[in-house]
Amino acid sequence: MVYTRKSPALFIIGIILLIHGFLLAGGYLAGMVKYLGLARATGEMITLSYVFGAIGVVIGLWHWFGSHKEGSLDYYVSTVAGGAFILIIAMFVKWYLAPWVAVLSRAVGPIAGSAAKPTYLHTVLGLNYIVLGIVAGMITVNVFKIPDWAHNGVRLSRLGLKTGVILLGTLYSLGELARLGQLSVIMIGVFVLGSAWLVLLIGGWRKISNSMGGVLAAGVGVCGVSAAVAAAPVVKARSDEIAYTIGTILVFGVICMFIFPVIGHALDMSYVQFGAWAGTGILNSAQVAGAALAYQPTGALETLKVGEIFNITRVLFLPIIVMWLAIWYVRREAAAGGAKVEQVDTTRVIFEKFPVFVLGFILMFALASTGVFSKPMISHFRDWLTWLFAFGLTGLGMQITFAAMRQAGGEPLVIGSVVGVLKAVLSLIIVLLFVRETI
Amino acid sequence: MISARTILLASHGTAGARAAEKVALDICADGGRIHQLVVVPDLWKGMLGDDWLNNAAVHIRFGRYVENQLQREIAEHAAVVEAEATRRRLAYSCEIRLGKPAESLAAVAAAGGHDLIVVGSPRPKGAPGLRSRLATELLVRTLKVPLLVVPHPDR
Repeated sequence: MVYTRKSPALFIIGIILLIHGFLLAGGYLAGMVKYLGLARATGEMITLSYVFGAIGVVIGLWHWFGSHKEGSLDYYVSTVAGGAFILIIAMFVKWYLAPWVAVLSRAVGPIAGSAAKPTYLHTVLGLNYIVLGIVAGMITVNVFKIPDWAHNGVRLSRLGLKTGVILLGTLYSLGELARLGQLSVIMIGVFVLGSAWLVLLIGGWRKISNSMGGVLAAGVGVCGVSAAVAAAPVVKARSDEIAYTIGTILVFGVICMFIFPVIGHALDMSYVQFGAWAGTGILNSAQVAGAALAYQPTGALETLKVGEIFNITRVLFLPIIVMWLAIWYVRREAAAGGAKVEQVDTTRVIFEKFPVFVLGFILMFALASTGVFSKPMISHFRDWLTWLFAFGLTGLGMQITFAAMRQAGGEPLVIGSVVGVLKAVLSLIIVLLFVRETI
Repeated sequence: MISARTILLASHGTAGARAAEKVALDICADGGRIHQLVVVPDLWKGMLGDDWLNNAAVHIRFGRYVENQLQREIAEHAAVVEAEATRRRLAYSCEIRLGKPAESLAAVAAAGGHDLIVVGSPRPKGAPGLRSRLATELLVRTLKVPLLVVPHPDR
């Protein structure tokens, strides 16, 4: 199969970016730059527009006029159009939409805080480039649809997020990682096992099938859709059980991404406390990053650092939980005298589900610990990873369809809501009581 | 009493669809033919959601599993309809399409060869089942053969 579409789309995106860079560099957009308060970002805006504009034009011409043959080169080059599609939306949101929302919000006036430290509506609601990027992605896929030429590249968003997490490894000190690691293992251990167990318990009371119990326990307990996707084939879930579970988790995740920052601001939680709460209480891992960056979009990114350690801990728990659920499922089915159930290949489960990108995170952390990266380099990494998360989360927004969310229903909605809310509330109480305000 | 020789039956195993199957089998003329269309809704394309933690191997395994599972469920359901059609000496065939239910049904109907199209009606609010309803307005605008909508058994 040839993946590259003969389309002028990427070339046009490249031209738009080059014109944008030229207009900025020539001062033609000075009025807008001043109105939106973008003076400090202008250098970055010009550089990125020129760099990605040139890439878009060159590869766009190849897409448009080149002769494409089946193979790895075609597959990888075809993704550039989708990547550029995500990028131009993320750029528009970060450079124009989010600052404009902030300007409008400031014009309304402070809604809380003091005269010295006013709090505006957009801060409380977390309406920054991350949340708006996810929303823009969701609007794109659900209202306008992803164009054919961009389909293949939209999946690059996952690569963007994983690269962001790997780069995040450079921002931790050994002490931070040790303390956060201990905290996350204890909290995730208790809440993952606790919520998975509770789902199975309530599922037993409500007499749901073992397969539904298994897939729901993984989704609600570990890391949302990722866990449901990993567990469904292992516990032999029926199609409707998968759809109900994933729909429920997506709805819950999107709601949490908006509600968590509001509650965090209302309770005046510290960045560390909020990161720990989001990392434990939000079911879906993508929305953990979204909520963390919604709470603290710039600066030292402590919330993201804490939230992602919790995310990594969750994903490290994933193979163990999937294996446990697989064994649980086989035993339950055998005890019920049902059809012969295939035994679980535990080694394959562990290897297949192991998150390889975590090794990249550890490697970058180890390299940073040796002092190989200078302070300015680490500062650049911080800037890059905010872009990688903006790119990744905007692209992930493009994969959240209303059609999938509408499937939220049945027993997974009832049980998932009860356990999800309980997990969020209990983890909030634990965080407020026991987690210190700094790392 | 309505009767037709070649019936296009849109059915996917829900209570409403099963009511449509019963009516289709009842009204099909002796020696007639039932062509069952099962539409796998395109909502499945979005079922990976925003998962980013898993690697490609897990995604491929999940995709294959869902595909096989849907095929198995459809085959089990189609076997029941086929058995009943055979018992009544009716010819039976089954077709699976991925897409939007109304558009897929309209496309199969446009290919011709059917006297009547039989579908179930939307299920009552709150009834369990996937949210992928047949857009009947789109369907009736395009069809050139009569459409019979069978009431849901819970109505």
